[in-house]
Amino acid sequence: MSRQMTRRGFLRASAASAALASAGVAGLSGCSSAPAESGPKETKRVATLCNGCSNECGLWVNVRDGVVHTLEGNPDNPKSGGRMCGRGHGFAQMTYSADRLTQPMKRMENGDFEPISWDDAYAEIAEKLTGIIAEHGPQAFAFIRDPRPNINFYGPRFTAALGSANIYTHAAACNLSLQSGYRHTIGGGFSADLANAKMVMFIGRSYADGITPADMKTFANVAVEGDCKLVIVDPRYNNSAHMADQWVPIVPGTDLAFLLAMSHVLIEEELYDKKFVKEHVLGFYAFKKEVEQFTPEWASEICGVDAKTIATLAREMAEAAPAAVVEPSWRAAFGCAHANSFMTARAVAAFNALLGNYGQEGGALITSSPSLGALPADKFPTPPAAQHTRVGNEEYPLAVQGFGTNLAVLKAALEGSMKAVFFYQSNAAKGYANPAVWAEGLANVDLVVDIDVQMSETAMLADYVLPECSYLERLEAVYLLGGKTHQVAIRDKAIDVIHPETRPADQIFRELSAACGVGQYFDFTAEELVEAQLGTIGLTIDELREKGIVELPTSDFKYGKVPTFNTPSGKIELFSVTIGRAGLSPVITWVDRKVHPQEGEFYFVGGKQSIQSHTMTTSIEALMDISKTYDLERLWMNAADAAALGIAEGDEVEISSSEYTDTVHVHVTERLMPGVVYAPTHYGGSSPYLTQGYEFGICTPNFVPFDMEPGVGSTMSQEVAVKIRKVGA
Amino acid sequence: MARYGMMIDTRKCVGCFACRVACQMKNTLGPKEGFVHFEFLESGTYPDVSSEAIPMQCMHCADAPCEKVCPTGATYINEAGVVLVDANKCIGCKYCMVACPYSVRMIEEISGVVEKCRFCWDDEMGGPNNPSCVATCIADARVFGDLDDPNSDVAVAIAANDAQPIAGDLTEAKIFYVR
Repeated sequence: MSRQMTRRGFLRASAASAALASAGVAGLSGCSSAPAESGPKETKRVATLCNGCSNECGLWVNVRDGVVHTLEGNPDNPKSGGRMCGRGHGFAQMTYSADRLTQPMKRMENGDFEPISWDDAYAEIAEKLTGIIAEHGPQAFAFIRDPRPNINFYGPRFTAALGSANIYTHAAACNLSLQSGYRHTIGGGFSADLANAKMVMFIGRSYADGITPADMKTFANVAVEGDCKLVIVDPRYNNSAHMADQWVPIVPGTDLAFLLAMSHVLIEEELYDKKFVKEHVLGFYAFKKEVEQFTPEWASEICGVDAKTIATLAREMAEAAPAAVVEPSWRAAFGCAHANSFMTARAVAAFNALLGNYGQEGGALITSSPSLGALPADKFPTPPAAQHTRVGNEEYPLAVQGFGTNLAVLKAALEGSMKAVFFYQSNAAKGYANPAVWAEGLANVDLVVDIDVQMSETAMLADYVLPECSYLERLEAVYLLGGKTHQVAIRDKAIDVIHPETRPADQIFRELSAACGVGQYFDFTAEELVEAQLGTIGLTIDELREKGIVELPTSDFKYGKVPTFNTPSGKIELFSVTIGRAGLSPVITWVDRKVHPQEGEFYFVGGKQSIQSHTMTTSIEALMDISKTYDLERLWMNAADAAALGIAEGDEVEISSSEYTDTVHVHVTERLMPGVVYAPTHYGGSSPYLTQGYEFGICTPNFVPFDMEPGVGSTMSQEVAVKIRKVGA
Repeated sequence: MARYGMMIDTRKCVGCFACRVACQMKNTLGPKEGFVHFEFLESGTYPDVSSEAIPMQCMHCADAPCEKVCPTGATYINEAGVVLVDANKCIGCKYCMVACPYSVRMIEEISGVVEKCRFCWDDEMGGPNNPSCVATCIADARVFGDLDDPNSDVAVAIAANDAQPIAGDLTEAKIFYVR
């Protein structure tokens, strides 16, 4: 790597000691206390998008002498709202990390990686890939990505160009159950109109931990200065809870019982919006009959929330309706966590329907997204549609089509029918399901290719690792933002490429597709693509570069207008024929979680921390220093549970499940329901190439048996019970 | 001349560290160096609990103990009440670190200078340059400005919330907390 790029100006200008030469940087452009270097600094500001998480917040990058100095939230961007989170600031530093990939790598027979030239890598990959497709058909090739606008363009295009329908996102380990539940109930996702609500209930979701800065700001201001009642339903008193009016601890994986009982109360006491239900809901009577049995007393036995609290919350929500809403959540408690996550999302959508809050100020908003026109066909020809059904679609037909379940690829790999798998910035083998199972599955695959900026655990299982330059070093396809307003934003190149043997995705796909004989679908540069995309909506790249984001006139959102529900019936479907055909209950009903802790066992829940993103930020020294200084890897345990096991703050414990045993230090707290332990989902790195996070803390998927949620194929990340034992006791 | 100060609302603060990392970059600190650190408090017994995250940094005391003990005059209080360090005069003796009752001074590893928050003071501007901890705060928990201007955001917020220094009258601190 180019060490001179990562050292501070002071070091560049002085005879630094060898020890200091390994010092990393948070501040990237000169030591703060060093005498100023002579001459004016060349500065510029570039509008771009963060890549620290899926929000892709708009930001301004301040560049000094070609090096990133600071980042600021772009106030025109609705995700950042002019602010930036810690991981966003920290993520920029990955660009200068000593742990970055700097050249293509090939795995040798003995398992070690050796450098390979781009040309040789392309030629070898192309020969193997086209050979596999010729022998086994395009259905033996799959592509898995963390969905961001650029790879949402290149990934599906590349997969289709090779004749395969097997394109997937990471959603099976994120929000697949939740989005699929909403898709089949109200036609798609929704947002909570927090700024205008009188009461909002968050189930598992914490804006302070899984951050969208603009939403966090709204939450804080509503909580402290507003008069909206905020309720946090979560086994953990999360980092948003101190601002809420009420914390409702709940047994993990039983939110569905809680929601069904609240629905029971609204129907039983006739507190639901009868006019809305009559006009916009299909299957209400089937649902009404179904929830008769789901009394607050029944739910209380399952979810641990007392019956009176359930009934009171339901009545309060009805009282505040339509400016009351159960927030849609994200990964959290039912994105992909349990056997009933899909049904839980259905129940959230149903409860909101009983409140009649769809489209109402302070309620559940279903908004539209802008779209681009067709690209010129001569320059951007569309590959023909694949001639086979995507692997996983038959067994998991309820998964949102745009996502699919990538775990079907793992299953096919284990069975031996998947022969080539590509990953793009997607650490599947660490986070999407049990890592040992991924290792076993990918060992069966003849060709594994990973495109990433660093040597992730998935890269370590690949035959070829292709290094992309960082997000600050590349221009990408445009990003369309839907919502109450429509916008288009751009990820732009803020600095020159640091490592000459790293390449942006557009170049990688152009060159690789040419080697594979399908280069006609990628014969354009990123700049040409962006210009063409913007041309379809009457904009130029220079106009977009000026502010980083431009509002489009295409939104038709209006408060008070009941939205169109994109379901087969055009109504909210509390009874769904589609779901019935897939073998699940067509009417929303109770589904139990799959794994129940036995005597002496604990529920095991995971969750995000503000400064980390998936497993990809644990290579960043400034962020890992915070994790290490503040012991953020610790396993949370309720104080009474800890006392019973003789465990004190900071003690080391052994944690074991049916799958795995590891050790970790404990944080003893009153902020967690007894019987539950919590661990952050970022740690336990096992790639020695990523030195900062290596073997720090535990990797939560290690403990979880490989399994998939019926209907949708999510990973069921919390269907596990663990035993805890004090080390040395 | 203005007299600069800040209000921090820990009712809003979520302890996310955005301020710390933004500040590190703005002030070109090392990855293990920070002008901002956090105290995390928890009180009560399950399920009646509460928690608080308290960001700590230089309080810019009008009677700064660190300034009084500095043997070389490296630590000084400028005309706007901002406590600053003249790196050319600092000999790294660490008296200031011991004297600071808030434990918010730190050694810059590369230069050996004992540094601290400077409210993003910019000599060329002759004032604070949009303090990064305030600019980036995702929970809107920080307000900065001129304490002497009764109409400034910070003066209005402090008065409205009866914000107080973190340790009462321990020093004449210019960071005020709402808790």
